[in-house]
Amino acid sequence: MSARAAQLPRETRDTLFLLLVVACCLAPLAAHLPLWGVAMAGAMLGWRAWLAWRGRPLPGRWVTAVLLAAAVALTAATHRTVLGYEAGVTLITLLLALKTLELRARRDAMVVFFLGFFTLLANFFFSQSLPTAAAMLLALLGLLTALVNAHLPVGRPPLAASMRIAARMALLGAPVMVALFLLFPRLAPLWGVPADSASGRSGLSGQMSVGSVAELALDDSVAFRVRFAPPGGQAPPQSRLYFRGPVLSAFDGRDWYALPQAEDRGLVPWARPTPPELRVQGEPLAYELTLESTRRPWLLTLDAVRERPEMPEGYGAAMTPELQWQASRAPSSVLRYRAQSYLDFSHGPLAETRALDTYRQLPQGYDPRTHALAQQMLQQAGGSPEALMQAALARLRTGGYRYTLEPGMYGTHTADEFWFERKEGFCEHIASAFVILLRSAGVPARIVTGYQGGQVNSVDGYWTVRQSDAHAWAEVWLQGRGWVRVDPTGSVAPDRIGLPLRLQAPRTGFGNAMGLVISPTALQRLRAVWEAVDNRWNQWVLNYTQGRQMNLLKRLGVHSPSWQDLVQLLGLLTALAAAAGAAWAAWQRQRQDPWQRLLGTARQRLARAGLPLPAHLPPRGMAEAARAHFGEEAAAPAARWLLHVEQARYASQPRRALAQLQRELRRLDWPRRP
Amino acid sequence: MAGRTDPAPRGPRAALAARWRRWWLARLPRTDTLTLTQRNIYILPTGAGWGLALTLLVLLVASINYQLNLGYLLTFLLAGSVAASVHLSHGTLRGLSLHLLAPEPQFLGAATVLQVQLHNRRRSPRHAVALAVQGSGQWAVADVPAGGSAALQVAFSPARRGLQDVPVLTAQTLFPLGTFRVWTLWRPAAQVLVYPRPETPAPPLPPGQPQTGGGASASARGMGEFEGVRAYQRGDPMKLVVWKKAARALATGSDDLVSRDTHQSQRHELWLDAAATGLADPEARASRLASWVLQADRLGLDYGLRVPGHDIRPAQGAAHRRRCLEALALC
Repeated sequence: MSARAAQLPRETRDTLFLLLVVACCLAPLAAHLPLWGVAMAGAMLGWRAWLAWRGRPLPGRWVTAVLLAAAVALTAATHRTVLGYEAGVTLITLLLALKTLELRARRDAMVVFFLGFFTLLANFFFSQSLPTAAAMLLALLGLLTALVNAHLPVGRPPLAASMRIAARMALLGAPVMVALFLLFPRLAPLWGVPADSASGRSGLSGQMSVGSVAELALDDSVAFRVRFAPPGGQAPPQSRLYFRGPVLSAFDGRDWYALPQAEDRGLVPWARPTPPELRVQGEPLAYELTLESTRRPWLLTLDAVRERPEMPEGYGAAMTPELQWQASRAPSSVLRYRAQSYLDFSHGPLAETRALDTYRQLPQGYDPRTHALAQQMLQQAGGSPEALMQAALARLRTGGYRYTLEPGMYGTHTADEFWFERKEGFCEHIASAFVILLRSAGVPARIVTGYQGGQVNSVDGYWTVRQSDAHAWAEVWLQGRGWVRVDPTGSVAPDRIGLPLRLQAPRTGFGNAMGLVISPTALQRLRAVWEAVDNRWNQWVLNYTQGRQMNLLKRLGVHSPSWQDLVQLLGLLTALAAAAGAAWAAWQRQRQDPWQRLLGTARQRLARAGLPLPAHLPPRGMAEAARAHFGEEAAAPAARWLLHVEQARYASQPRRALAQLQRELRRLDWPRRP
Repeated sequence: MAGRTDPAPRGPRAALAARWRRWWLARLPRTDTLTLTQRNIYILPTGAGWGLALTLLVLLVASINYQLNLGYLLTFLLAGSVAASVHLSHGTLRGLSLHLLAPEPQFLGAATVLQVQLHNRRRSPRHAVALAVQGSGQWAVADVPAGGSAALQVAFSPARRGLQDVPVLTAQTLFPLGTFRVWTLWRPAAQVLVYPRPETPAPPLPPGQPQTGGGASASARGMGEFEGVRAYQRGDPMKLVVWKKAARALATGSDDLVSRDTHQSQRHELWLDAAATGLADPEARASRLASWVLQADRLGLDYGLRVPGHDIRPAQGAAHRRRCLEALALC
């Protein structure tokens, strides 16, 4: 097979290589495409490879036309549009695969290359992580290699040679890239990032479905990183690390929603959330938070933040009535901001208001047994909401309830099933059942989602919070105290809160295999190093924003930098590069052989006097021609000098006479126009 | 110029373009050895180059709109690579020497092959250097090895006979990305001599003329002493045919038969005379004479040539043939 590959006709080899590169560009997109798209693109690439391998002719125009029509129709059917970036990504993938089927002339190859560059970019819609960047760099080099190879028409140049040329180009282009990346003004989006369509992401989702999740897949990817100020500053204990996300206050029997969405659905038409009314004590804790791309406007903050977080240029931030901070638009990439949190706080109205009724709402006809239980417990608690809450927590602690990540599917009455039948679940089930119980007794309660805990990286001191740290807890309104955070999960599984659970390696095949040869501590260490590198990547590359550009200018000595300064700096760099190029060109010209230059000057002078001579004429020939043209006398000095040149040139030490000749040349009496 | 003959300029724009081209070409010095420098290399983006520029623009807009920092990196790395490719592309031609070997004379109607040597004094190879007669679009491509040389051949079909300039040549490269065309125009100093197109089929050679000053009267072609050979003429007895030569002639594909000549060579001289062709058109005359010269040469006869301005004594051999053909080319 490899022997056959080495002897493939050049055409076949090039086609197969290009197909390989195209496949590499498309492979990471497979996870984000509809299944039929993956199958279709794969089939087309495979077919083209088979045709190339067998040396068969390409399919006719009508075949590609039919395939194209099918691709467009299926895309439109799947995404209900052919515009927008999800449909666009599907379409461009199929177009690229389809174009390889009519890869005949060089023009077709060019179109494949251009589509290839677009697919590289399309990959970044989904991930901008370091591994993605590395993979795309390789794919870019592959595309350039194929392009270079296509422009080596002679013989059968080895691919390694093309690869070297491509790498050299990329290496030479790297300074340009760095300069442009640092200085190209960062503009605001031109027509708005489309609202989130990245559904199916793990972590928080703005909606909580209690019954339908049979098993919680632990997603070990990073949600955000926190650095407490001053750098390496003291973090609060794990048990107090509650990062607030969306607050879910509306329940339709099955799913929990945040209030504005509930309004849209007409569930609670008159509901208005209670204002935050935040009261804080003590010193704030300052930190810097780097949020991985969520494509949601949520800002995760450690409870509770009173002042507006310090956002990058172009972002606003506002607090919702439920104490959650939201950015003015969804970040499409990593977002970094600074905030100050007061760990000692209370919020919400201290006395009963009409708005609190929102948090007592429950849909009719659900969870009758929980309802009964609530009435009974309220009686036992003497009508005190606080005593009821304690009783509910006590029941969770002692009633044989179990924390599990695999609770199975729940039926219609989720709270009933939890309290009386299954008695197991993870934080969402526990919090939901708890809040339903309290609401059944008429106590205002709501669910807060966010992240709990985190892990400090021993390499760079950043705290890492993972998607698997996603958590749901409850807030209960109590007369005179406002909203009180209650974490019912802590009652069922005290381990879940405040203790670093995740000390195991990622649960992948690779991780398992590694675990066999490398000790767990070494593996953890390795992981810490990797995450530190990944964090650097985020901080330096993905989070390079307008603000940092301006900081760079400030460091360069510009007092009040603006984007015009960036453009000026770019212009200056371009001018410098051009000047360097011109200097180099001049130097190249000067690098001529000194003897050649000497004769060149002489030839110029003779030509000016009316005797053009060919460049290949030796000095003796020039002398003869000059004598013949100008006459013996007029040409004598020049002829003498030329013969001197010839003599010196072939002497044993030609260099010696050179300076002398150059001096003579300047003073030489040249013949005039006869 | 060969290949695509210059179309008659239509409209003021074409006229302007033609003028511009003439002015530009007139600036180029005529030389058989051209060393390429910044001064004589031109560079412009190709259609694919504009396509790539558009691609870069779209990538940039997408990066801005979706705020993709990696998108910026990709766009700028691609832009940087393209900038580097311009440098590589220009470097492929810069410093290259082109040398045209003196072209061989050719018959009108046949392609004249121009042999060009490419010399590379650099320590790295130069890839995909293409050469063509300007406007012909027929590119001959070669890689020039590091510190070595390569040879390229381009052909052109001269439009008329006589001594004429070698057409303007173009060297170009699209290496490495095909996005930029780097090219140079070259006006070689060499001239090429174009012989008239030999007439085919040509009538048989004219009969010999009585030798001037030879007193002997022409007797009938007797069966006297064998003294030489001449071209077969209608009516020659079969036994006069030199069959050994005929066999060789048939083997080489020409059907020229040779007869034994007895006394003729002494009494008759073969003169190829412009006046004897019986044609009025000078081109047709030259054409027929060229054909006769070739025929006589092939048969190994002595022949002389008489054209206006030239009177070449009968002789034979390659040098004589060449002299005759040159005279025909230039008459």
